[in-house]
Amino acid sequence: MLTALVTGIAAGALYAAAALVYNVMFSTSKVLSVTTGHLAMLGGVFGAWLTAGLGWPLPVALLGAVAIGAAFGIATEWIAIRRVLSRSDEHLWLLSTLALATMLQQGVALWWGTEPKPFPRLIPQDFSAGLADQKYWLPVAIALLLALGLEVFYRRTLYGKLFVAMSEDAFAARARGIPTDLIRSLSFALAGAMGALAGFAAGQLTFAYFALGLTLTLNGFVALAVGGLGSNLGALVGGLLLGVIGAFATYYLGGEYQQTIAVGVLMLVLLLKPAGLFGSASIRPV
Amino acid sequence: MFGVSLRRRGLATVAVSLLVFQSPLSTAADPVRIGWLSSLTGPLSSAAIAENQGVQFAVEEINAAGGIDGRKIELITYDTQGDPTKAVNFAQRLAFVDKVHFVIGPVNSGESLATVPIAAKAGLPNLVIGTIDELVDPKRFPRAFRAINTNRQWIVAANDYTLKVLKKNKIAIIGDTSGYGTSSAKTAAQLLEAAGVKPVYSVLVDPNKTDLTDELNKAKEAGAEVIMPWSAATGLLARLLNARGDMGWKVPIVGHSAMMAPAIPKLLNKPEYWADAYATGYVSTTYTADGKLPAATKALLDKMRPRLGGKEIDFMFWWVALGYDTVKIVEHMVKQSGGTDPAAIEKAFVTTTNLKGVYADYSWTAEDRNGFPDTGVVVNAANSLKDGCFRAAPR
Repeated sequence: MLTALVTGIAAGALYAAAALVYNVMFSTSKVLSVTTGHLAMLGGVFGAWLTAGLGWPLPVALLGAVAIGAAFGIATEWIAIRRVLSRSDEHLWLLSTLALATMLQQGVALWWGTEPKPFPRLIPQDFSAGLADQKYWLPVAIALLLALGLEVFYRRTLYGKLFVAMSEDAFAARARGIPTDLIRSLSFALAGAMGALAGFAAGQLTFAYFALGLTLTLNGFVALAVGGLGSNLGALVGGLLLGVIGAFATYYLGGEYQQTIAVGVLMLVLLLKPAGLFGSASIRPV
Repeated sequence: MFGVSLRRRGLATVAVSLLVFQSPLSTAADPVRIGWLSSLTGPLSSAAIAENQGVQFAVEEINAAGGIDGRKIELITYDTQGDPTKAVNFAQRLAFVDKVHFVIGPVNSGESLATVPIAAKAGLPNLVIGTIDELVDPKRFPRAFRAINTNRQWIVAANDYTLKVLKKNKIAIIGDTSGYGTSSAKTAAQLLEAAGVKPVYSVLVDPNKTDLTDELNKAKEAGAEVIMPWSAATGLLARLLNARGDMGWKVPIVGHSAMMAPAIPKLLNKPEYWADAYATGYVSTTYTADGKLPAATKALLDKMRPRLGGKEIDFMFWWVALGYDTVKIVEHMVKQSGGTDPAAIEKAFVTTTNLKGVYADYSWTAEDRNGFPDTGVVVNAANSLKDGCFRAAPR
């Protein structure tokens, strides 16, 4: 049972990281991009390729994977968000980001292959470490680091405050002279880097696998909805709850109930507290 | 190397292989048109890529020898990308636009479930290469004939090995939550119970589950002496082997052939974790006690080696042999029936007994459309891949 708890927390941390990535993109664009989970997939796949394929040292490979994630984040904003937002108030970004995510996944499958591939050991450690193995706690450490880093970024830096300003009222921010297009691009770059970092940290847990993205996109969204859209604390709590509940559902009932229970939790929270556990209900001015 | 070139080929929506050599007879005779539905790209493409090598080679070989009774083979290949929707569209195109005489495939059972009825409706002979039971039915699909083994044959072989060779009857079954994993685990449990053995532990897990230590702990607590996984997900199987190795539990694992996949050892924490694992394979690609392969397999290996890179083969050769045999089966049926009339082809199929192939020797009857013999399945040592073939599990 302790294993179920630990593996649930590890998987939940990855969902939490995906939810944090959603939050960063949402703060400046009000878009919930379907590419969110794919950013982590890129971190895992490129991390494995740069280290095992090209033989780069781990720190350099980490930087490379994060840079690729950031580049894809910017590309997402340019290709699937900017033009769509400028032409329509409808939620067409759902389709454009879904299209981009599908193209990315297919492209990675063609290049990388459809079988999972190994991810290197990041810290020297014997495989007999059991539940103290780095594959469990690295994703947790990274999720906490990302949440903490975001809080510091939002509260202590000028760009962070610009993100917050856009989050609260993009039109007012633009009227105050804030370059909103640039800030939105930066937020997608940051989200890409964060997603890739989370995927890199969790590579030993997930393997380097082309189809990881959609799973994380879905579970990250559930974590976000449970925790509350826009709340980083909510993202952490929602992700961990989802991971642990999924692990215990598998432990006690079997894997066939895992997804049903995860979606059931989402439905329950949305019914009882539509804004999520830590979300604030939006006030509609009349 | 060949995988890369094939992927490029697979990027094209349609690849049409036409005959290279022209014989005087073929100018007058219509070609035998074979539709080949293959998931050359996308998930589960590795088996399809290998099968495609066998299919292409057989077509070239037959055409180079003058064709089938003077009729060259025209192979029309569509890449389904493992997507049942695409497979349906391509099956309809093969039947009603390309007007093929035979359909081979699709490669995956899920796609075949969608396309077999289409071929049946068009009255086309269909060589089925998916393993699930529902794909053949003499009443509903009278011209669908299976060349590959059934899933049940694999499960029976694994159960027999566990009960009769290892002499263990405390068995834990682990299936994945895919349609295939779920039905296979259920069938395995049913067959064991029919043999008087109730599994001590059964569970279904998500194919992407990141750790299986819990499941193995439960199996151990239940007294399991053998773990039997039914999943084609190499990631899940590798995690199972890793969990067993990290626990230090000396328990044999007997199950699905994907446990022998070349992708597995790369995912293991330690190479020795692959030992004491046994998977279902084929007599045709199993070395005899003196280290030799069946003559037909050896001959095909030698003939195809230059095409496969000229070096030791590092993937499962049985896929190539199956692809090769499907075209040779078509050749046999056309010769036996004297043409490509579907009714005559059906008659030729149901009267075929012990047709010698590389992958297996095939027999079909009016009642049984499964051509692969029970005796063609064996259990291999999972970690014994050598030149595309395997060593038999210890007996």
